[in-house]
Amino acid sequence: MKNNKFVAAVMVPACIYIFIFVIFPVLYGLGISFFDYNPASSTNPFLGLENYKRMFGDATFWLSLKNTVVFGIVALILNLIVTLFLAEIISLLPSKRLKTLFRTILFIPCIAPVVGTSMIWKHGIVATDGILNAILGKFGVPPHNWYLTEGALFLIIIVYTLWADLGYNVVLFSAGVENVPKDFEDAAAIDGAGPVQRFLYIKLPLMGRTFAFVAIMTMADYFQMFTQFNIFAPTGGRHNSAMVLTNYIYRTSFSNFDMGYASTLSAGLFVVVFAVAMIQNRMMRIDWGYE
Amino acid sequence: MREKKEKELVIYKKYHYIIIAFLSVFSMIMMYPMGWTMMTAFKTNADIRMNRTKFFPQEWSIDGFITAFEKAPIEKWFLNSVFITVVVTVAVIFTSTLIGYVFAKYEFRGKKVLFMLLLATMMIPGLVTMIPRYLMIQELHLFNTRWALIVPNLVGVFSVYLAKQFIEDIPNSLCEAAKIDGAGPLRIYWNVILPNMKPAIGAIGIFTAMREWNDYLNPLLMLNDIDKMTLPLGLVMFDGQRSVDLAATMAVATMIMLPMIVIFLIFQKQFIKGLTMSGIK
Repeated sequence: MKNNKFVAAVMVPACIYIFIFVIFPVLYGLGISFFDYNPASSTNPFLGLENYKRMFGDATFWLSLKNTVVFGIVALILNLIVTLFLAEIISLLPSKRLKTLFRTILFIPCIAPVVGTSMIWKHGIVATDGILNAILGKFGVPPHNWYLTEGALFLIIIVYTLWADLGYNVVLFSAGVENVPKDFEDAAAIDGAGPVQRFLYIKLPLMGRTFAFVAIMTMADYFQMFTQFNIFAPTGGRHNSAMVLTNYIYRTSFSNFDMGYASTLSAGLFVVVFAVAMIQNRMMRIDWGYE
Repeated sequence: MREKKEKELVIYKKYHYIIIAFLSVFSMIMMYPMGWTMMTAFKTNADIRMNRTKFFPQEWSIDGFITAFEKAPIEKWFLNSVFITVVVTVAVIFTSTLIGYVFAKYEFRGKKVLFMLLLATMMIPGLVTMIPRYLMIQELHLFNTRWALIVPNLVGVFSVYLAKQFIEDIPNSLCEAAKIDGAGPLRIYWNVILPNMKPAIGAIGIFTAMREWNDYLNPLLMLNDIDKMTLPLGLVMFDGQRSVDLAATMAVATMIMLPMIVIFLIFQKQFIKGLTMSGIK
């Protein structure tokens, strides 16, 4: 249809709005990254590339970049293995009711706010007199203050994220697993392939497209996790061992009010996320479908 | 042959029991933290100090809830959260269906370029722009008001994309027929487009509402006064001030989680359908 008046009446305000609240902040942030910017101070001198030089020499930046990438990759791999396994065994169940029941239960942690569930883990599980120490105590491990550990706290945050985030991918993979034509499986079964073989060699390759999509979305998400790090390790944990880029940016801008430098760090995060997005795009173009 | 098939069925049955047993145990572990929270909210603090890991309360008490209501403006946090969630969700449903409708059903110059640009903005991670957005809210004098969380969130680019994809599947002939009957573009939108895209509206609404209700970063940046906070931010504040009072903190946590879980269990089918349809997270 054609109706230029109506199109203009909708699109002009829409474009202005999106420019102001989506595109302009990117340019604004990029601009600030060249200044020594503190909203409370009267002068905010232009620094040129000083902030960028500082970033490349900043050990905390590199550490938090490393932590961000390690978190993203480890959490992603664990998530994919566990959710694929769960989606597959749920799909083997005979009744539709049971399938829905288990998928619903697994989805519940995704519904609750990350703030709420992080708080629960903080007080109930990770606290010194929490469940984690109680369970380890049964095996003779003395109680730890996990907030003072380095690798362990990082691992706990990964496990928490796995717990909190399982349900989404189980649901998404379930759709993929159940879309694989039944004939293919039956043919393989007649040829003597067991359930594990059928899953690995028939189903998994056939749901490549779903797999790529889910992996990509999850990874993009994990590179930007903030809330659980802010709750479990608000100051980055011992020796910044649980500091990630998002929390480092938050701390630099809103605890130290060093907003110029924080904007430079944001540009760094942007490059990382953008690189991931580019890799994603490449992968998405590969045709994995079975149609 | 037949014998073999029957044998396989028996083996399959055995598998089922193992799978059901495994999933039941796994589900219990998954639900344990939630259950523990709700039980702890009904414990006394003396009870918690004695043994935090115990599941059921020694004696049931609603002191946690009473303290929570006395020491924190929970009803205000709740109303703030509801207000922001409702306004943003309604606005996003309206804007995304309207913009999606124009993209899907109207021809105009530069449409392709504009749509590509729109898609490109989805690649901008929200966290990267937190400083400029904070400064803009200051400039607009919206800082520390509910509008700071509403005004920047009235249009969701992903929702526009979702709506456009869905509206494209509504047959053009329906729109043309309405047009011949003398309907203007807004009438077509209201009478033809909206009634035919209920599943998409459901998905957009559910996920927008969930994102707003659970949002922590934006309220953390934009709100200062205790009375103006939303529930997630309020919980963190409350915990920081009264961390010894675990029963009360868990009472607040329960009150944040429960509404979403109840809504989810009611609309569970639409949730799962919407999630598979859109693949959004």
